[in-house]
Formats: sequence, C-alpha cells, structure tokens
Amino acid sequence: MGNRQTLRRRLVRDFLLNKYLYLMMVPVIAYYLVFFYGPMYGALIAFKDYSPMKGILGSDWVGLKHFQDFFGSFYFLRVLKNTILISLYTLLFEFPAPILLALLINEVRRKKFKRVVQTITYMPYFISLVVICGIITDFTNADGLINRMFMFLGYDGQAMLQKPELFRPIYVLSEIWQRIGWESIIYIAALMSIDLEQYEAARIDGASRLKQMIYITLPGLLPTIMIMFILRMGNLLNVGFEKIILLYNPVTYETADVISSFVYRKGLLEFGWSYSSAVGLFNSVINLVLLITANTLSRRATQNSLW
Amino acid sequence: MKKIAAAAMVITLLGALMAGCSSGDKNSGNAAEGASPEGTAGAAESTTYPLKTDEKLSYWGEINGNLVGVKASHDEIPFFQKWQEKTGVKLDFTAPPSGQVKEAFNVMLASGDLPDMLEYNFIGDFPGGPEKAISDGYIIKLNDLIDKYAPNLKKYLQENPDIDKMVKTDNGSYYVFPFIRGDEYLRVFQGPVIRKDWLDELGLPVPETIDEWTTTLRAFKEKKGAAAPFSVVSKPRFFNESGNGAFIGAFGVNRGFYQEDGAVKFGPAEAGFKDYLKLFHDWYAEGLIDKNIATADTKAVDGNIASGATGATVGNAGGGIGKWQPLVEANDPKAVLVAAPYPVLKKGDKPKFGQMNQAYASEGTVAVTTAAKDPALAVRMLDYGYSEEGHMFFNFGEEGVSYTMEDGYPKFTDLLMNNPDKLAPAQAISLYARSSYNGPFVQDKRYAEQFFALQTQRDAVEIWKNTDAAKYNLPNITPTPEESSEYATIMNDINTLVDEMTIKIILGSEPVDKFDDYVAKMKSLGLDRAIEIETAALQRYNSR
Repeated sequence: MGNRQTLRRRLVRDFLLNKYLYLMMVPVIAYYLVFFYGPMYGALIAFKDYSPMKGILGSDWVGLKHFQDFFGSFYFLRVLKNTILISLYTLLFEFPAPILLALLINEVRRKKFKRVVQTITYMPYFISLVVICGIITDFTNADGLINRMFMFLGYDGQAMLQKPELFRPIYVLSEIWQRIGWESIIYIAALMSIDLEQYEAARIDGASRLKQMIYITLPGLLPTIMIMFILRMGNLLNVGFEKIILLYNPVTYETADVISSFVYRKGLLEFGWSYSSAVGLFNSVINLVLLITANTLSRRATQNSLW
Repeated sequence: MKKIAAAAMVITLLGALMAGCSSGDKNSGNAAEGASPEGTAGAAESTTYPLKTDEKLSYWGEINGNLVGVKASHDEIPFFQKWQEKTGVKLDFTAPPSGQVKEAFNVMLASGDLPDMLEYNFIGDFPGGPEKAISDGYIIKLNDLIDKYAPNLKKYLQENPDIDKMVKTDNGSYYVFPFIRGDEYLRVFQGPVIRKDWLDELGLPVPETIDEWTTTLRAFKEKKGAAAPFSVVSKPRFFNESGNGAFIGAFGVNRGFYQEDGAVKFGPAEAGFKDYLKLFHDWYAEGLIDKNIATADTKAVDGNIASGATGATVGNAGGGIGKWQPLVEANDPKAVLVAAPYPVLKKGDKPKFGQMNQAYASEGTVAVTTAAKDPALAVRMLDYGYSEEGHMFFNFGEEGVSYTMEDGYPKFTDLLMNNPDKLAPAQAISLYARSSYNGPFVQDKRYAEQFFALQTQRDAVEIWKNTDAAKYNLPNITPTPEESSEYATIMNDINTLVDEMTIKIILGSEPVDKFDDYVAKMKSLGLDRAIEIETAALQRYNSR
C-alpha cells in the first residue's frame, strides 16, 4: 500500500512539474484513441450479422460463422496461396532493391549526377496508381511497347496480362520500378550517418571500395535494414489490392486473386461487411504473429528490434 | 477484478453511446414518416407544381456517364436546376464517383448516414433485392404514400397492369419511382454491328449464321488486314454484351438464368455453352478475335473500330453506332456501320436470345429512405415525372430551349442535335433531359426517333428486335430476403468460376473438354440450390 502511495505522489509531483509536456501528449493520445483504438470496436461485426440500421451492438451474434465460411470457401486455399506467394516474391525481390540502389548511389562521386538519379528513380512513386496500371496495361498489350521489343528480337507478341504465369513477375517488377527510389531515401539517410573516419582508416589499411562496402557500409546499414524488414513482416499479407484489381482479369485470377481483392469483391460489391471484417481480422492476426516472430528472431540474431 | 469490471463498464458505455447514435437516426426517420406533415391534407388528388415549401431534400444519385468530363456536379446541369424550379423543391445532391456507384452506395449504407432519396438499381445491384432493402430498414415501402401523394404514378400503374406487376415486389410493396420504357421500340437497342462497306467490297452478305460469320471474319482478317476482326468490351466481364445473348444465343443459351418449358436453366451449365466456347476458342486461335480480348475496355474497342483494326462488334444503336460512325468516317470516308441480326446456326431460324429489356428497367429508379425528413414531400416531388408536364420535361427538356413544338411533335433544337460546344447529341440531351438514359419517368418513343439520327440506327432496332428473347428471358425476379445471402454466396463463386472458365477455354489455356469438369464444379458449389431459389422466385412473380 505504502509503495503505491509514493508512486501516486511521485506521479502527481511529476505531473505538476511537467504539466505542459503532459498537455502536449493529449492530442497524440486522442489521435490514437480515435483513429486506432476506436475502430477496433468495429471488429465486433466479424462475429455478427451486421446491419447498419441495427447498429453494431444491435446486430445478431453469429459466432464464428463468417470465419467458417471463409475457411470453407471454394477459393480459400487459392487466395491464401496467392497472397503469400505475391508477398514473398515482393519481399525477396523488391525489398533488397532499394538497398542496392542506395549502395550504388552512395558510390557516385558527382553530387549533381547523384541528385538527378535520385529524382528520376523516385518519380514513379508520385504517379497515381490508376495511371501506373494504365501504363502497365498499355505496355504489356499484344502490340504494346514490351511486346514490340520482343517481336524485334524475333519472339511472338502476346497479351501478357492474359497469361496467368506472367502476372506475378509483372506485379513484382512494376512494384520495384514504383518504389525503388522512394524507399532508398531512408537507406541513403542511414548511410550519411556512418562515420567517415572508418572509411579513411580502411583506405589506409588498403581496403578496396568493394571491401569498404562489405565491411563498413553494410554493417552500418544493417540496423536500418532490420527495422525495415520487421516492419515489412507486419504487413506481409496486406498485398495492395488496388493494384491487383486494376491489373487482374478472370484469366489471371488463379495467380492474381489475393485475400484483399477477394474481400473487395465479396464485401464491398456484395455488402458482406461482416464477412470482410472477419477476413480482415484473420489477416491482422496472421500479420501480428509474423511481426512478433520477425521481431524476436531479429532481436536474438542481430540485437536489432522494434521493442 | 476491479480493473476488468471498470474496463467492461467503459466498453459498455461506449457501445451504448454508439448504439444510441444509430438508433437515434432511425427514430427520427420513423417519427417523420408517421406524422404526416402539414400542408399536404387535401392535396391527395392532384398536386400543383411548383410545390410551396421551404424544405430542402437530399438526393443521392449518379451523374450520367455521358456527362463525365462535361459537368462535374448535378448543380451545374440545367436539367437538375430546372427540375428543382419546376417542382418547387430544393435538392441537395450527392453524386458517387462515376464507375464506383456500387462501392460508394455500399459505403454510404454502412455509414448509416442516408439521404432523403436514393437513385439506385435495387433489383440488379442490391443483394437480396428491394424487399430486403425495405426489411433491413434502408428504404420505405411506398404503397400508402403513393396512394395519397402520387396520383400521376398511380394512374399510370392502374392503366398499365402489366407494368404494375413488374414494379411491385412479390409481397406487393412499391419501393421506388420506376423508370419505364414507354414503347416496345425503346426496349431493344443493342446487337451485332458490322462494317457494311467492307462487306460490299468483298462481295459478302450481312452474315446471318455462325458459319457466315466465320467466313466474314476470315475475309476481314485476310483481305482487309484487320488485326482484330471481332472486338468487344470485356470490362468488367468477358464480352459483356454476351450477357444479353449475343452469339451465345445461337447455341440456345445465354450467360445467366433463363426459362424454357417452364423450367429455370443456367446457361453456362448447359451443353450449348460448350459449343459457344469451342467456336470462340477456334476464332481466337485463328486470330479472328482481338488478341487483347480479356483486357479490352471501351477505350480499346473504340480505338480498334476507329482505326479499322476491327470490322465487327456488339454495341448499342445510340452509344455504339452513333459514337463509332463519325470515328470510322474520319479514317475512311466510305465507312458505314450497320446492324447485323443476332446470329443463328441454321439459316432462317429465329435467334433464341437477343437484347430485349423489360419495360420496367430496374436502373435509374428512385427510392425514399427511412431517414427522409418529409417522405410525403419527396413522394410528391418525384411524382412530377409522371405528370403530363413532367413527361415532356423529362423526355425533351424545356420548350423553347431544348425542343420546339412542331405540329404537336416535340422537336429537339440545334442546341441538342448540333451542339455549338461540339457536344455529341447523347451528351447534349443529357444536359437538358433524361430521355437518353433513365430516371423516374416514362420514356417517350419520340425521343429515340430523333436521337437515332442515322437511318442505320433506326434500322438497327428493327433488325435486332427479331428474337425470341421475350419468351426466354426471366422477368425482374428476386430471392426472398431470407434466401438472398445464400443465393449471393453461391452465385458469387459460380460467376467467378464461369468468368474464369469462359476466358481460359477461349484463350486456350484450358482445353474445351475441361468444360464438363467446370459444370461439375458449379454443381458442387450449389448450382442446383441457386436454380431452386430462382424457380421459386419466378413462381412468386408469376402469381403476383
């Protein structure tokens, strides 16, 4: 009891001393309450047959019905497999790309050239997704730019977005093109913080530029890479559905249909709010597990972690 | 323990707060509905417009696609300005983004924040149909209100019992102010379209049978160098217009449910569908169909037709031939597009399917929501479209501006037909009237006679009309609210499967023989149950 008293007294004193600092925290807390914790209450509808007119609490409980419907769905396995595969491919190919770009840009001596390269590479990030997908569709048409290049080399032109086996490569490659520059910014910033004296010392010891990169630059970048990796794991199953929806068609469903696009068709086009939120909840739980796993592994292996 | 109790309290309180909010909305809506507002007593028989009121009603509806890029909001469109003036009721419009109507509608419903009036397709796009929209508490049953405050609509329905039957639900509820195609002539507007100048040049007749089509397309490809002899819009579904039976109809099926000998059948599960797939597979393999067929959108098809890569397609008389004729002429002054009949297998047969809409079109209809502050006023306002004055206004716009009376015939002015701002007639009409698309009124044949400015367009309607669609098409039936979610789940999976099967077999990534496996899969997804639900709905419709 005595302990708590003192704790309370200490808190009160601290509060009185720093009351303006505490005041500054209020908007932040409010922000999280309103926009992150408040909506969690809405997750209840995953267990109900939600009808807006009855309200969240007024709707009838149905237990795990929507989860069972999803797991038992004809398309469940396919959708799950596609989601995981597309995520993994993106992780495998798109995640390292900005790191490589940052390393390359770091080696460039001329400041002007460096800036031009950076600007050009992060430009696609600012183009609207709808436009990007329009460009992709046009380029991959049977008589589009890419096919013309292939035809020039003597191959037959074919509508690439009509080939299920080409969907994932197109998705991942365009993802790299879109994000490489933008995501490299954080790595370039991290590179700036590496002590230049280390390079000097290495040079005196006779290390080549490649050796410098391997032994100084990369270890310096590692903490940033790990943090980015962990954050990425937390979103593994959240494949951006806008892009999928804009690019897919029934021929490519078998490789392109992911959880979010499936939910979009089911939930938003057919008013299955409860069903979608059940699937969303399932998605979040998996993501949470992945995030925690990645964080733990990273903490054990590299001493870098989010918490 | 105490903490848990406190947390539980907080959650309950929060919940109660939210529930309070939503039920509050509902109550206010009901209260307004119950108490009939002042100033309406005695006005039951006839209403004089403009109505005298200070109330402003909110209205949710899409802006017609013809006006995308021309006007950004309802308030800028002369028709909607005039409509408020003529009825005397001020409207506050909200428009969903074009092309995302369904999504926007869904989000609005989920938010529980409803306007007074909703313009939406409750049969086609509301899962579970109108009866569910009423029982879920979104829109109100209009029977009493129509009796009291909508004399014009009531009179029309009394005089046209066949339409009255379509407009009601199985339970006899009226739920919207309907869009009605006032003449047989207005119900057919879509079919195969072909380059007549090419046919003449090659010495070929307008194709009637599937075999003649193959010959023709082959000639287009080989002799005219067409890269995509046959090209159609495939967004959002493969060969959208096949939904009306184009080309599929030759094999005795369509892409949805239809009735035959008193039984409901699902086209994609019938043997005829396999023959259709085989034909299109062969055409595709031979290069007679657009190579980008799975991704072809309106823009791509327009481009193909304009450039002469395509010589045949399926489209509308107004929005198709009317749009493409100037495009092809610009490239080739001799070019002429004409309608071809819906194809058949044996010469002289009558096609089983073709486009033939119901007189009651389920789109462009306006419902009054449970949130309406003054439902009676909304109903009186909407009834205007069915009055004599409203009929002229909705179909032709304003006399002296968009039409002039010549010997009792409303003739569109040059403002519409030769617009000084270079707007196409379809666009210009949409600015001043609603006859070229839809809305809460009865469409007038005299609009189409002028809108179809070209003789080829007027002929098209006559050519496409010649099908048995009226006999085989299902009327506007809906499952009961109880069955609707089951039906939606089954059909969502089956439609995905059908879309996938169709395009895969046609593109050749699956052999035609795989068709039987697909049908078996459809069965395992519950096709028989879906047919059962449709059959019951049809029986309920027939006994209305």
